[in-house]
Order: sequence, then structure tokens, then C-alpha cells
Amino acid sequence: MDISIFIQILVWGLYAGCIYILLAIGLNLIFGVMKVVNFAHGELLMIGAYVTFWLYSSSGINPYLVVPISTFIMAILGILIERFGFRPIRGTGKLNEIFLSLGLIYLLQNSAALLWTTNSRTIHSPYSDILVPLGTIKLPLDYIIIIIATILFLIAFQLFMKKTTIGRAMRATSQNREAAALMGINVERIDMLSFALGSALAAVAGSLWLISGQMVNPYVGSLPAIKAFAVIIIGGLGSIPGAIIAGLILGIAENVVPVIIQSLVAVFNVEMSFTAWKDTIAFLILIIVLILRPTGLFGKKGE
Amino acid sequence: MNREKIMSVKTCLGFISFLIALLMPHIFGVSQYLLTVLIIMLVFILYSSAWNLLALSGQGSLGHAAFFGIGGYTSAIVVKSLGLPPLATILAGGIFAAFIGVLIGLTCVRLKEWFLAMVTFGFAVLAHTITLELPGLTGGWDGLPVQKVIPVTVHNYIMYEYYLVLITTVIVLFVIYQIMNSKVGLAFEAIRENELEANVMGINVMKYKLTAFAVSAFFSGIAGALEIHHFGYITPEVYGIDISFWPIIYCVSGGLCTIEGPILGTIIITLLDESLKNFGWTYERYIMIGLILILIVRFLPKGFVSVPEKIKAYLRS
Repeated sequence: MDISIFIQILVWGLYAGCIYILLAIGLNLIFGVMKVVNFAHGELLMIGAYVTFWLYSSSGINPYLVVPISTFIMAILGILIERFGFRPIRGTGKLNEIFLSLGLIYLLQNSAALLWTTNSRTIHSPYSDILVPLGTIKLPLDYIIIIIATILFLIAFQLFMKKTTIGRAMRATSQNREAAALMGINVERIDMLSFALGSALAAVAGSLWLISGQMVNPYVGSLPAIKAFAVIIIGGLGSIPGAIIAGLILGIAENVVPVIIQSLVAVFNVEMSFTAWKDTIAFLILIIVLILRPTGLFGKKGE
Repeated sequence: MNREKIMSVKTCLGFISFLIALLMPHIFGVSQYLLTVLIIMLVFILYSSAWNLLALSGQGSLGHAAFFGIGGYTSAIVVKSLGLPPLATILAGGIFAAFIGVLIGLTCVRLKEWFLAMVTFGFAVLAHTITLELPGLTGGWDGLPVQKVIPVTVHNYIMYEYYLVLITTVIVLFVIYQIMNSKVGLAFEAIRENELEANVMGINVMKYKLTAFAVSAFFSGIAGALEIHHFGYITPEVYGIDISFWPIIYCVSGGLCTIEGPILGTIIITLLDESLKNFGWTYERYIMIGLILILIVRFLPKGFVSVPEKIKAYLRS
């Protein structure tokens, strides 16, 4: 197999992995602080992408400049969801949280369908024609922007969590909610802020996904959300570095494994398309990991 | 004494609703539209009750469409390859779904809450992918044409179909009711409340969890087979997210872990859905249903079945 094609697939996986990482970190933050898994997280990605699309098509400026605005809008939506959805049912059982997320999925998907119809929308990025030559291969500029932007986001996020008061309060709350409350941290405000931050990260992921040439329709959210969930299970609930590593592994595995299997199978002269299995790989990893370790690969015992 | 009185009231209500259901085609005449809505409603009552049985053992599945679809596909393929009448193959669909249910259950017994939810969801996606990858057997994206239970050439075929589905549903509901009130049902509830304590009390948690999976998958498979033999075709859409989510919406809105909850929830939500559909609303009605689900989780966690109690409590205060 040609090595340059392989590298190209690798970069494609790296780029997909970046989207998963952004999504997974938001989900992980919300889980860490509130102990809530928001199944509607992918819908936040979808709405974020639509808001970017809407701002871009009504203003016509560079789509990358629109991203901060849509991120801010989504942070506010996240606050509303936390305040009127998850906060009132806190402590009434995990199943209720799952049911609430289902309600949110219906609400958000169909609101998007009502506002923007179910047609697939795309944005024509101003850099979509530019290919950056790297040795023998050429990479789209958008991918490089996204990979660099994700790295910058991750550094900023890590600094925020380690150095700022709010970041420290978030970590304290996720370690021990009661103790944090006793230390004078307003845990409910921390819940709100972490939900806002999680939604904002989902919006960034969705917007970058859209700008890099992917289509958005009201139903695109569920698959990335489940993959993000797979990422945090593999990387360990609450662990940010784990999420980064697992996100990259999943992004690359999804794109490389089908190609490898296909070239292996071709040796035996079997005609079968394994590209349809791309979306299933995340689940296979998830299922295998959970059979072996029901609390996740790096998860704590008894969680 | 009081408990018995309540039970008898419920039995009476159940009997009356069964009689009304029996007389439905005679009251309103044999209307294609009405009976189609009722057939789908009955299929979903059956399907949600099956989901509810799994929830009774504390396991909330997000991927029941896997069983629904496997039941449908099995029945369709058996009819096509062996030429058996659909009435016999519906059972085959249920049995194969139960077999897959045990396999999935084996991977899920150690999982809880959202881990379980995610993995079951994953299995539905997996079933979808495998179905697409076997186009020789399943017809791929195009699906398969399926023989109807009652041939269309029979006069008033839809009425016979309705009675068939009604009787199947009533039998299944009776069986589920018996299971819920038996030792097995008690064991399920004990496991739901506290798995560790149940284990200490000598309940074989793994065995009962697998039983719940098998029985629930069996009835879901039957529901799936009934639905596709009603429609006359099957496509991979039976594995859709909607099919996994509808029983949850019905059960939660009706009342989780009760026998009448899924029935009431399915009837109310379906009627609402159909009447909004006649308004010409498409996305608005799903938004409504999403909102209703959120409001019920927030304000009526025991579902519609708890409304009389709530009213009583309100009147007393």
C-alpha cells in the first residue's frame, strides 16, 4: 500500500479525532462536575453548527470569525438547559437523567428541522481550495487550521482548569461535591458554568466540523455524541488527558482499520466493503472495553 | 383488602377497555385509517410493555430497535426461504430475537445506567450495519417485500388483522402481568432496588437479568414481526433511533414499571401524535412530545397512571 495515502488517512483520522476530543472533553467536564451524562450532547454540536451556518449565511464574513459568537450563544443555551432541565431533577435517579436527555434530543432535533429544514447545509470555507504541500503529500489548509485550533483550545482549557479560581473550583467539585460546598464553593454555579463550557466546546466542535466541509442536518448529532461517549469510556470518566489520547486513537482507528482490513481481505480475493463499518468501530471498541472493564479502561473501581 | 379492591377496579377497567377494543371495528365501521392506527398502537403497546419488563429489572435499554428489527427480519427471511405462513414465523422472529437478547444480555449484565444505555444503543447500530452488509439475505438498503398476515384479497382483511394483533397483544400482556406478579417479577424488582442486597438474599442476579433480557427481546421480536407483516415490507429503518426511543417515551409518560403504564402512555401519546398530524404539524409535534417527556420527568415522575392519586392528594389537602 502506498505510504502517502496512508499518511493522508492518518491526518484525516487526526482531524476527526480533534472533533471527538472537543466533544468528549465537554461531556467529560459535565460528567465530572455534575455526575450527569448528557445524551443530548451531540444535539448541542448540531445546533452549534447550525448557528454558525446561520450567522455566516446572514453576514457573509469569514466563517472562522463567526465561531466565537456561536460559541457564546451555545454557552447561554447550555445554561438554560442546565437551569431548567438537569438541575431540578438532580438526585432523582440516573434513569431520569437519561429520559430527560431523550426529551432534549427530540426537542433540539426537531426545533432545528423546523428552523432550518432537514436539507443538508454546508459552508464554503474561503480556504477550501488551498492545499498545503507537506513533503510528498498535500493537506487541505482547513484540516491544519482545525488541528492547530484544537491544540490551542486544549492548552487554554488545561490552563483554565489548573490556574484560574473557577477552574480549580470545578476540579474540586468533581472530586468531592460536599467538601467543595463546605469550602465555600457555590457548587450550583459551578454546575452552570461547566454545562456552559461543555456546550461551548460542543459548539466549537460542530462549527469546525461544518466549516471543514462536512454537511449538517438535524440528525448528524447522535453519532459523534456516542463516539465522544466511547472516547470518555476508553479514556476514563473524568480524565482529560485520557480523553485526548482516546479521541486520537478512535479518530485514527476509524479511518485506518477499514483500509487495513480491506487490504488484508483483498489478499484472499474477497470482495467486501468495510467502509460501512467505520461508524461501528467505536461501538466495537466500547463493547470490548466494557466487557473487560465495566467501569472503563482508566475508570475508578466502584464508580 | 384495600389492595384487592384496587386490583379489582383495575381488572374491571382492563376488561372494559378490552371489550371496547373488541367492538372498535363495529362501532366506527371498518375504516382503513382507524384500524391501521389501532394496529400500530397495539404493536407498540406490546413493544413498550416488553421494554418495560427489562426496565423492571433495573436495566434501561436505548437499543431495543435491535430486537424489534431482528424479529422482523427473521420472520421475513423465514417466510421467504421456507414458505411458511407468517403466523408461524412471527414466533420464529421472537425466538431468534430472544437468542440475540441473551447474547447481548451476557455482555450487559455487569453494566449499569448509562454504560448499559450506550452499549445497547451500540448494538442497535451494529445490527443495522450487519443487516446492510448481508444484502443477499436482507436486501440491503432496499429491504424485503414481506407477505401480509392476512392476504389483501380477503374481504375486510384489515379487520382480521386487527383482531389477530389485538389477541396477540392481550395474550402477551397477560403473560407479562403474570411474570410481574410472580417470584421472577419480585426478583426483578429486588435487583432494581439494590443489586447487592438482592444477591445477598440469594437471588441469582445474573440469571434473572438474562431472563429479563431474553423475555423482553422475545416480545420485542414478536412486536417487530407483527409490524412488518402488517406493513408488507421491511427496510433497515426498523433499526432507527426512533424505534428505540418510542417505547421509552411511552413507558415514561405512562408510568414506568407498571403493567398499565405502557398501555396508557402508548394510547395517549399516539392519539396526541395522530391528532397533531391531522393539524398538518410535523416537526412541531415531535417538539411537543420532547417537551412532554421533559415535563413528565420533571413534574410527574410516575407518569400518567399517577394522575388519579395526585388529584386525590390535591383534593384531600
